[in-house]
Amino acid sequence: MALSTRTFDRLNEIFYVVPMSESSGEIAVPGRIETIRAYKALGGKVAAVFPIHYPRALFRACDILPVEVWGPPGVDTCLGDAHLQAYTCPIVRAGLSFLLQGKLDLVDMIVVPHACDSLQGLGSILLDFIKPARPVLPFYVPRGEGEPARQFLVAEISRVRDELCEIGCKSPTPEEISEALAREERADAALAELLARTANLPTSDRAFYRLVRSREYLPAEEFEKAARALLVRKTEKARPGIPVLLSGIVPEPGEIFDAIASASGRVAGDDLCCSGRRLYAPGHGNDPLSRMADGLLSGPPDSTRGSSVEERIAHLSALVERHAAKGIIFYNLKFCEPELFYLPQLRQGLQAAGVRSVVIESDLGERLSDQTVTRIEAFLESVA
Amino acid sequence: MNPFGFLRYHLNVNLLGKSFLRLDRMRLSRRMRRTGFWRDEHLSPPLLTSPRLKELISSHYLKGRYANGHCPVAWVTSGGPVEFLVALGYYVLYPENHGAVCGIRRSAEDLCILAEGHGYSRDICSYARTDFGAMLGGKTPVGRLPRPDLLLCCSNICQTVLLWYRVLAHHFKVPLILVETPFLYRDALPHQVEYVKHQLEAGVEQAERVAGRTLAPSALDRVARLSKEASLSWAEIMACGKQRPAPITAFDEFIHMAPIVEMRGEQFTVDYYRAMLAELSGRIERGVGALANEKKRILWDNLPIWYRMRRLSRLLAERGVAMVASTYTNAWGELAEMMDSSRPLESAARVYLHPILNRGTGHKLETIKTMAKEYQADGIILHSDRSCKPYSVGQMDQREKLAGEMGLPALLLEADHNDPRVYSDEQAENRLEAFMEVLGV
Repeated sequence: MALSTRTFDRLNEIFYVVPMSESSGEIAVPGRIETIRAYKALGGKVAAVFPIHYPRALFRACDILPVEVWGPPGVDTCLGDAHLQAYTCPIVRAGLSFLLQGKLDLVDMIVVPHACDSLQGLGSILLDFIKPARPVLPFYVPRGEGEPARQFLVAEISRVRDELCEIGCKSPTPEEISEALAREERADAALAELLARTANLPTSDRAFYRLVRSREYLPAEEFEKAARALLVRKTEKARPGIPVLLSGIVPEPGEIFDAIASASGRVAGDDLCCSGRRLYAPGHGNDPLSRMADGLLSGPPDSTRGSSVEERIAHLSALVERHAAKGIIFYNLKFCEPELFYLPQLRQGLQAAGVRSVVIESDLGERLSDQTVTRIEAFLESVA
Repeated sequence: MNPFGFLRYHLNVNLLGKSFLRLDRMRLSRRMRRTGFWRDEHLSPPLLTSPRLKELISSHYLKGRYANGHCPVAWVTSGGPVEFLVALGYYVLYPENHGAVCGIRRSAEDLCILAEGHGYSRDICSYARTDFGAMLGGKTPVGRLPRPDLLLCCSNICQTVLLWYRVLAHHFKVPLILVETPFLYRDALPHQVEYVKHQLEAGVEQAERVAGRTLAPSALDRVARLSKEASLSWAEIMACGKQRPAPITAFDEFIHMAPIVEMRGEQFTVDYYRAMLAELSGRIERGVGALANEKKRILWDNLPIWYRMRRLSRLLAERGVAMVASTYTNAWGELAEMMDSSRPLESAARVYLHPILNRGTGHKLETIKTMAKEYQADGIILHSDRSCKPYSVGQMDQREKLAGEMGLPALLLEADHNDPRVYSDEQAENRLEAFMEVLGV
């Protein structure tokens, strides 16, 4: 029996997702390290995966658990700074530092999807200069549209599958890939439901996003279970607070949620790369790799996939309407070109549609300043 | 094309403009031949072909000024596959080249500030900000830029250009052709080449629709052949820098590269580079160097610092340091041999996948090592360009390798190619002084 099937029974025992307490309504989910250790204890392999889009199901079908690396925040970037200039993306600098500190020694491989010039550079210097002890696999997500992009992506996923086999990972059968894909699609559906029902879930934004972001490392089934555990607790009445949308790459530092809550706001929906922009629709057809490619290309408009400004305005406007949001907070990581380029036209388009917005710049290594918190308060007051 | 546009174009460009620019070129050429024209003790006089370059560039922007209504206009990224657009009769404008002109003419800063006033962050590429400033304010040192009918973005130089061209497409409400070139961490794979080829084919169809005409294979063959000839000549020109003393420096190349970037596929570009090559051959025969007294030779990596070219050139020349080559200018010649004008689209797919910026950092290091040997370089300046991440990321490791494995002194110089506000003369020159001391000059 494949590990990807066998493991779940054991992982069920290890994780057994339950509400932490009735009063807080929080769902307890294990952390990344716990998850990695548990998976490896069962003989599985683990891949550290940099942002943003990649074929999760393929890795799972090969008995590899993808665990994403979004920085993490608060890492001392000294070691990374010896390789990357200060104007490089903070996620990339923190991620490289994390790796060089030995914090990724537990993993068996490193996957670097191509999302921007900084991640491109990271993949390249890992392969050419740093050469970590574990294999490095780059993955290219096309920005183009139509059949050529789809065909390319199928071939690219196929290449990654072949490389995984070459480095000694399990060679999955089409059935095993299909099974893994079905599990991921169910988890994606659960994530979509979570994000759609945010307003009616009895939890704080911080706790909610702790759960949402466990999609970055939990096995799909475990995530689905955790999501369902919260979804059954949904209420008829919406949570109090001024509803706002959160847009950006990743909600770090997480103090943004406290700042919004303390200004009587709540996150009604998101356009975040780590969650809302990865609501992939199920693919079509019987070929699992094609289906996987369809899914990856079906995601909502995303700057890192080079979507048009029009598509992004339309998507954000629809989100605002769906969640009855009063405005949008663009929570922007420093030096993030994909996000920065779009902002003026996005904000102009949204303003024309009567949607107000504010831009907050953040850095993974720094706490939110008082000035930033004041800006958030002022914004929420103005849209209330 | 409308009759008024046709008349206006021919009157201003072919009748008045051409005559005026020719006279201006002759006047400049006469001046350069006069005794006492050049008094610099460190630098040799500029090439006699320089007035021709001025004529070419001025003529290019003059054509652009009157292009709307006369021919279709495309804005294209600098590494874009331009041949099919030229063959379809497009006037082609390169916003990056325009950005460089603004940088040299010191108007980039004002344009960046204007763009920032409209919400564009200082952390995005300064070429893009310069372009947005010109787009939003309508001001440019070249007079007026034509409105595009079509945009062509090729991602083989960076991902930034796609974001930049999305902004342009939204502003101008025109179609955007994307030729995406998957980044080559290793050698190109068949699916990567196929993907580019399919996009080129789709791009041709879209460009035909916008232009309202069909691409004639003979026209494409001709343009592809001229493009290859120009690139080969450009490669030969750069190879002249291998001579001692070098008859040309990378500073000269930064200026003289304009036609190979924005006028590829034209007969006048081929003619111009042949004339330049003949002049350089003459310099080599006579033993004339670009510097009066060449003592040391260095390489340059990355884009130039457009607004400090003259000052840096002088600083190095005063110490006898000749900057004999650059990876940047080399990029427009190194792929010439790959071009196959008998299979223009197929070979274009391969050629446009392989620019140095679309390949791994290790490949760039190997290119630098080869160039260092061929050009007998004593050191290298790696311009850590805040506005160009794909070119700059990897330089810190490259510097270590060059110094450690080749013993080649390497300086990492922090700057920005177009935004002078992030450049400090004192700091940069201090570092350059220390670097030159290491070189022993």
